[in-house]
Amino acid sequence: MLLEVSNLTINYDKAMIINDLSMHVDSGELVSLVGPNGAGKSTLLRAITGLVAWEREITRRSVGEDITIEGTVKFEGERIDQIPAHKIVARGLIHCPERRRPFREMSTYDNLLAGGYLLKNKKEMEENLEKVYQLFPILKERSKQISGTLSGGEQQMLAIGRALMFKPKLLCIDEPSTGLAPMIRQEVFDSIVDIRKLGITVLLVEQEVSTVFKMSTRNYVLSSGKIIAEGTGKELLQDEIIRKTYLGL
Amino acid sequence: MLLDIIISTLINGSVYALLAIGFSLIFGVARIVNIAHTAFYMIAAYCIYFITNSLNLHPLLGMLTAIVLVTLIGLISYKFFIDPIREHEAAVLIATIALAMILQEVMLLIFTGDFLSVPSLIKGYMEFFGVRIAFQQLLTIGVALVILAAVWVLLRKTRLGLAIRSTANDREVANLMGMNVAQVAMMTMGVSVALAAFTGAVVVPLTILNPHMWMHPLIMMMAVVVLGGLGSIKGSFVGAYILGMAESLVVFLIPMGSFLKGSVALSIMILVLLIRPEGLFGVAFEEER
Repeated sequence: MLLEVSNLTINYDKAMIINDLSMHVDSGELVSLVGPNGAGKSTLLRAITGLVAWEREITRRSVGEDITIEGTVKFEGERIDQIPAHKIVARGLIHCPERRRPFREMSTYDNLLAGGYLLKNKKEMEENLEKVYQLFPILKERSKQISGTLSGGEQQMLAIGRALMFKPKLLCIDEPSTGLAPMIRQEVFDSIVDIRKLGITVLLVEQEVSTVFKMSTRNYVLSSGKIIAEGTGKELLQDEIIRKTYLGL
Repeated sequence: MLLDIIISTLINGSVYALLAIGFSLIFGVARIVNIAHTAFYMIAAYCIYFITNSLNLHPLLGMLTAIVLVTLIGLISYKFFIDPIREHEAAVLIATIALAMILQEVMLLIFTGDFLSVPSLIKGYMEFFGVRIAFQQLLTIGVALVILAAVWVLLRKTRLGLAIRSTANDREVANLMGMNVAQVAMMTMGVSVALAAFTGAVVVPLTILNPHMWMHPLIMMMAVVVLGGLGSIKGSFVGAYILGMAESLVVFLIPMGSFLKGSVALSIMILVLLIRPEGLFGVAFEEER
């Protein structure tokens, strides 16, 4: 098992966002997390990559919500729930955040360099840069442009490209299709399929259920911080209750 | 007259640029409003005075020691004063005001409130269309420009610079790229204080030392940062020379202008806040960092 989450519970003040949740991702899979708004999908990703713990550290040092985390997260068999987010990255677990969030005042090229920040040598940086440009040729054209002025689709490709710069073993992508035109959406989804073909395991959070079910090997349906169903797209669509209540199809 | 204005614009502008860029850096990376920034500039100046006058060593040695020592003091005060309360912006503001006061009082205790001065590194002047330009003035401008260029290289071409810019843009995402943002903040504080110390070192032969000398540059620096846009390095650079020029113009062209010099910065600051609150190159913060 590449990623294993066991009995994870997360509270923000008194609100339980993740409720005793267990899930796993195997090497080579493309796993999707789907479910209604506020189900805790993004929080789950943020917990896996250490951002919830980081947020807890910050709120402890100032006034803010009281965050508690229980349970374990294992990556390649080792616990990662106790180590800081920037060290989790070094193990090859990369998070491509919600709302794309490029470094808006930096050029496309500098954004990609930032993605390869942990790479030790220049040669590796150039090789990875070349691979990202192959996957997203538009980024090469836009390399000098300030990333805040890119279109939404280009920003999403940049965010994914940036996450790919450090050659992830597991890539977590949070809602890549939000706010994009249908044609661009398809392009982004196609690129995710291509990424998986490169041998990178993908954990995807998405609202666009119908498309996601066609590409992913396995899916989890989340609601109120709990996993209420698991299976391939076909299996989940056969279940009347899940289809109508949670997927709205 | 024109040449006087140009020289004084270049000197004041460079000094304000160096100070404002250091101030902007640590604000951008850690959202720390460091009121003590110019106090570090002051202790660098005193440090040079002490080494050249009391120990009778070469001024150049004094400058190098001052830069190293002040950077160390800056890092230590960051570690013990600011870092523990870093996430609490109001507390940081109060702590840095306190820090500036402490440094001022310590200087007052050691060196008293007397006006002191440090001899020029190079003596002599040249005459240019009847205007005397001291070599020290040219040296100050030259060195300041070299340091500004070095900062540009640091930010644009090095790994640390990449981390500083990324963290300033989006702290959380910088974390996701494997950057240790707490460490980046610490290093940025080092760079920022070193810049203040450098400024003190280049300007000390041209200025008069007293324990309140950090006040005027602080106000000018704040005005520069507001004019240029909070957190924008380019803005700080351009804003510094605009304010440096405005100040020189008032001093040279208006009778008794040097008494008005303090109000120039504040007037420009109010104007900017009224007309364009985000400054020349500032970004209106769209979302939380």
